[in-house]
Amino acid sequence: MQITLVQGILLALACIVIGVDYWLEAFFIFRPIIVASITGLILGDLKLGLVAGGLTELAFAGLTPAGGTQPPNPILAGVMTVVIAHTTNTSPALAIGLALPFSILMQYVILFFYSSFSMFMARADRYAENADAKALTQLNYLTTAIVAVSYGVIVFLSAYAAQDLLKSLIDILPVWFIHGLEIAGGILPAVGFAMLLNVMLKLQYIPFFIVGFFLITYLPIANLLPVAVVGLGLGMYDYFFVKSDDEKAKGGVQNDGI
Amino acid sequence: MTVSNKVLTKKDISAMAYRSVFLQASFNYERMQAGGWTVAMLPALEKIYKDDKEGLAAAMTDNMQFINTHPTLVPFLMTLLLSLEESGSDRTLIKGIKVGLFGPLAGIGDAIFWFTVLPIMAGISSSFALEGNVLGPIIFFAVYVGIFFMRFPLARAGYELGTTALDSLRESSKKLSRAATILGTTVIGALAAAYVHITLLPTIELNDGITISIQEAFIDKIFPNLLPLAYVFTMFYFIRVRKVSPTILILVTIVLTIVLSFLGIL
Repeated sequence: MQITLVQGILLALACIVIGVDYWLEAFFIFRPIIVASITGLILGDLKLGLVAGGLTELAFAGLTPAGGTQPPNPILAGVMTVVIAHTTNTSPALAIGLALPFSILMQYVILFFYSSFSMFMARADRYAENADAKALTQLNYLTTAIVAVSYGVIVFLSAYAAQDLLKSLIDILPVWFIHGLEIAGGILPAVGFAMLLNVMLKLQYIPFFIVGFFLITYLPIANLLPVAVVGLGLGMYDYFFVKSDDEKAKGGVQNDGI
Repeated sequence: MTVSNKVLTKKDISAMAYRSVFLQASFNYERMQAGGWTVAMLPALEKIYKDDKEGLAAAMTDNMQFINTHPTLVPFLMTLLLSLEESGSDRTLIKGIKVGLFGPLAGIGDAIFWFTVLPIMAGISSSFALEGNVLGPIIFFAVYVGIFFMRFPLARAGYELGTTALDSLRESSKKLSRAATILGTTVIGALAAAYVHITLLPTIELNDGITISIQEAFIDKIFPNLLPLAYVFTMFYFIRVRKVSPTILILVTIVLTIVLSFLGIL
């Protein structure tokens, strides 16, 4: 069965809302179980949506954005699994595989936003320096709106207007370009940390940076909590055993008294 | 400092719990959640600093620094820091506590929500959905709405912790700031090692047909995260000593990685 124009528009509108939810990680309606069910509802085949949602959710359960990596997009996976199963009469299990290119395309679009939105941060710094709360808020609306609109456009094109065109687009993108964007994601935080160090680092604190850096480098620990506990211990040692300059000055006066 | 500088009401704290949803609104690789983080706290900060434009600017500038933490748990950290802002605490103390806590909070949140709650909920709701039962997505949605509303008690808890802990800590705020900076710097070191990834791909072919990887045979022998460490301090050098704008450093980094990817080096 073909997707009608009205269905295409409804899917796009639904995915604008769902896309914002994924961007903000608010209500988790971006998970395939919800997305596919809603898609099924819009296409008039709720049962298909539920079954496809269950299968896609299980397939995507291990693919999480935890730790800042971006997995194949769960929204496009949910929508396109149902759309492909519905239009080509394939089984949902097979449709998951056929939907994957669309899911990967959206993953790349989000990766592109992650890199390019870095460019907005200089402007955000300027707003902060001028205490311009309104402009900073609007900047955050703008980035969210860009994401929302691109979900609407890509879902509309994928589901209704240009399925084949998008599929060929994914084939055209060279591997080294995509790989380069992924690598950039692993290196760009260095600029953020450099700015953080620019604010916090004085020479005498370098030992603590070294401790944190090499703990993570050599110990197989899954999160930062153990390092923070070590940092807390070092901080407490400093607090209880090392005298501040003020106290030393005070101590000097007392010694004079004796 | 007296009780009179308390300006945030229960309503403000609840409003902030709602606004914490902004956290990832301008997510990007360089600062991650910094923009949304700042915007979420803005109404409260504006109320605290009222006519003190410089104070507000300083608070906003500090908050625009790199942060990456867990969206559901973040209200706790936001209100904890707001209580420090409200009491006029030293900026170094606020920064140190923020940088020291956001990473561990992210680790706890990921462990609870991505690696425990999600697999369980995916399993339960999928088993219903696969039978064509609409309860599947409904149960899933209900649980996550419940998780969303955890933000409100978390926001209250953070604020209360901040205000009660403060009284006992205020006397030694200078030493406390230094201790907090030590905690913060340790965690930044850990963050740099955990988030920055640079691996060289080229290999060298030896005459007997054995290939060795430059990354494994040379770099990792010195120490594994040598290149990330070098890159962080190269960026630090350009920002502090050469005063290069971060925007240029971001552009250069993106172009460099794509070129090096094309050449097969990264």
